[in-house]
Amino acid sequence: MPDVILQNLPFLLHGLWTTIDLSLWTILGGTLLGAALGTIRFVRAPVLGTLSMLFIEFIRGTPLLVVLLITYFALPALLGYRTTAYKAALLGFVLFIGAYLAEDFRSGLRSVRPSLIQAALATGLNRWQVLRLIVAPQAMRSVIPSVFNQYVRLLKFTSVASIIGVTELTGAALLVNARQFHPIAILTTIAITYLVLCYGLSLVGRALYAHFGVKT
Amino acid sequence: MSDVPTIEVRDLHKKYGKTPVLRGCSMTVRRGEVVVVCGPSGSGKSTLIKCINGLEPYHSGSIKVEGVEVGAKSTDLPRLRARIGMVFQHFELYPHMSVLDNVALAQIYVLRRRRPDAYERAHQLLARVGLQDKSNAMPVDLSGGQQQRVAIARALALDPQAMLFDEPTSALDPEMIHEVLQVMDELAADGMTMVVVSHEMGFARRVADRVVFMDAGEIVEDAATEVFFSNPRTPRAAEFLSKILPH
Repeated sequence: MPDVILQNLPFLLHGLWTTIDLSLWTILGGTLLGAALGTIRFVRAPVLGTLSMLFIEFIRGTPLLVVLLITYFALPALLGYRTTAYKAALLGFVLFIGAYLAEDFRSGLRSVRPSLIQAALATGLNRWQVLRLIVAPQAMRSVIPSVFNQYVRLLKFTSVASIIGVTELTGAALLVNARQFHPIAILTTIAITYLVLCYGLSLVGRALYAHFGVKT
Repeated sequence: MSDVPTIEVRDLHKKYGKTPVLRGCSMTVRRGEVVVVCGPSGSGKSTLIKCINGLEPYHSGSIKVEGVEVGAKSTDLPRLRARIGMVFQHFELYPHMSVLDNVALAQIYVLRRRRPDAYERAHQLLARVGLQDKSNAMPVDLSGGQQQRVAIARALALDPQAMLFDEPTSALDPEMIHEVLQVMDELAADGMTMVVVSHEMGFARRVADRVVFMDAGEIVEDAATEVFFSNPRTPRAAEFLSKILPH
């Protein structure tokens, strides 16, 4: 391993940990947000459904960096609260990936056959029970691949947080490079690290899908 | 109360967009009656029985189930549906649940039965349809005939007042039709009120009290089974019978 990496290993590992920590919390928050928005869209809730659609379209039409700048500078100024780079990045990522996940969840919910929903309704289950007991469990299984695809995208997106001053893996690497300037060694190392992380995450997704995927 | 029909349909109209699918249908099903509804495809048979438990809305007319108007805003549809079992052409078992859970689910969440009671009842019903050894299987591992028998058990689990069958054998291979019809024969013999959309004329002859013939959204003929088969009143019914019965 190149000297520049070894000398800065604790610092880079701390950056790596921040990347993992930020990713996991975003996955948790983004999944909850995405599931909520996707469900609201699926049941076509009045008002809330339209608001969700507007939010999703807004996020999907906005660059990730701009979203982070909004959660770091604009929102705190507008709403009068104090934030940190980490918290702003977390909020931005949750909103960003949540909007994409919402569309995945919605299409998963829609993939359940209408005739199966009719059959469940015919047994006297109400709409919420049908959603919770029949539609959602099947949708969750069918969306595992596309959801993990979003998780992998997100893991790479966390590098953008370095621009608002979060010292995650990329941010840490840029600081080390600014001091000692070994771009090839440093950037290759973090590129490989991202590759390993992403590959591991997609393996988890594949294992879950193999285990839970609905066979029909 | 015995004079209140189990199902009473009066002058029912329904359209899909501008296309009328039901044009003034009326029929009455009394307690314990078995009525077979037949007719060419697209005649509105399936739509008619889906209106009976409120799976399809209707535009005008009236459907009463045990005196309760299905289309009324105040009607508690889930509660009404729990009193009518329904069996579908393509079985529609919940693919992520075992056979036993398929049969127990509505008992637990609709009837609020305790789980042990629901599972005990599910085992009984699976035995009744001859599938006691399949309770832990997943639907995908069953044949079509077995899946349809589980679907019948699932509907019976609610102790319904009537059963609706929407072409229960038309998605089955010929060798599996018999096992499903046998279960339905037994149900009829037990006195279950049944409305069966089917082209199984043998079943109709054996167990139906009446045959309803539909064409182009209308009930063209509603007659006692013997009368329908031996002496159809309308040319349309006669033509249909001549096509569907072996000569």
